[in-house]
Amino acid sequence: MALTISCPNCGKRNGYEFRYGGEDKGPRPAEEGLTPQSWCDYVHMNNCVAGIQKEWWCHKNGCGAWFTIFRNTLTNLEVEEPEAKL
Amino acid sequence: MKEIQRQSPVQFKADAQKIAMRDNWPVVLEYSNEGRGPFVVDLTHKAKWDLQDKNLATHKPLGLDIPTLPGACAFQKSVLINRLNRTQCAIWHLLADAPALPGEPGYTDVTESTVLLALFGPNALAIAEKLTALDLMDPQKQTPFLLQGPFSHLPCQVVTLERGHGFDGGLLLTCSRGYARSMVHAILDAGAEFGLRPAGEQRFSAWASGLSGKPGSAQAPSVMHLVTTRENL
Repeated sequence: MALTISCPNCGKRNGYEFRYGGEDKGPRPAEEGLTPQSWCDYVHMNNCVAGIQKEWWCHKNGCGAWFTIFRNTLTNLEVEEPEAKL
Repeated sequence: MKEIQRQSPVQFKADAQKIAMRDNWPVVLEYSNEGRGPFVVDLTHKAKWDLQDKNLATHKPLGLDIPTLPGACAFQKSVLINRLNRTQCAIWHLLADAPALPGEPGYTDVTESTVLLALFGPNALAIAEKLTALDLMDPQKQTPFLLQGPFSHLPCQVVTLERGHGFDGGLLLTCSRGYARSMVHAILDAGAEFGLRPAGEQRFSAWASGLSGKPGSAQAPSVMHLVTTRENL
């Protein structure tokens, strides 16, 4: 069974309609005091969580919106916002 | 200077009975042997505008209201307005010639970059269901409503304009112009078992003119999944 993803505009759709945009790493680091090393870490280093992670997706075959969801990487299923569990 | 010629990418293998020139587009008004439906009509020549603004609520294109929810449509005064997302809507001039594009920022004329097809009549929605997994007959939505997603594997905007008995009804779909030939080929092939035939613009106008301005269309509660991530858009 393919992953299904909930687009905020279009509702739950087949995962093949979407493009993965990577882990949500929080806001871009401030320019002041930014070193090449810390910028490289922000861009390239991932947490690769075995469990629930927040990640970006784009509905490229639909409305084109970028948005975040929470996905359990062990089951490859979208989950409700897990704030209480983190 | 020679006059420009506009050409639809859709060419049906059928005998055109009546052709009119409109804004340099050759428009087929009627084909021979159109049958009793279902019909597929090429509406690429219809003016299509795109409007983008971070605050769409401040706009009233042609004095008409823009639906507030993504997926909702308003068919008023011969113009169909589809809300695409938080910042964008599509404006299709289906039954009348379009005025000049408004001079204010945000408007783009996409008429020549997109193909627009109408599929309507008996079993029209059954034909569409052979080509897409989109729920064009969602009972929780009031027509007209917009779905954005793959139709014959191509990213499309699909508007269910009418839902009748069984699979009868009608829809409009638009996609990039370059996909027109393969899209029409797929639709005609899927509709062969139902007797789908090309029809002229007159057939579409007669059908759609009865739908314009139906009450309730502008406020259709068409999106059930406006989840909490809108601020991330």
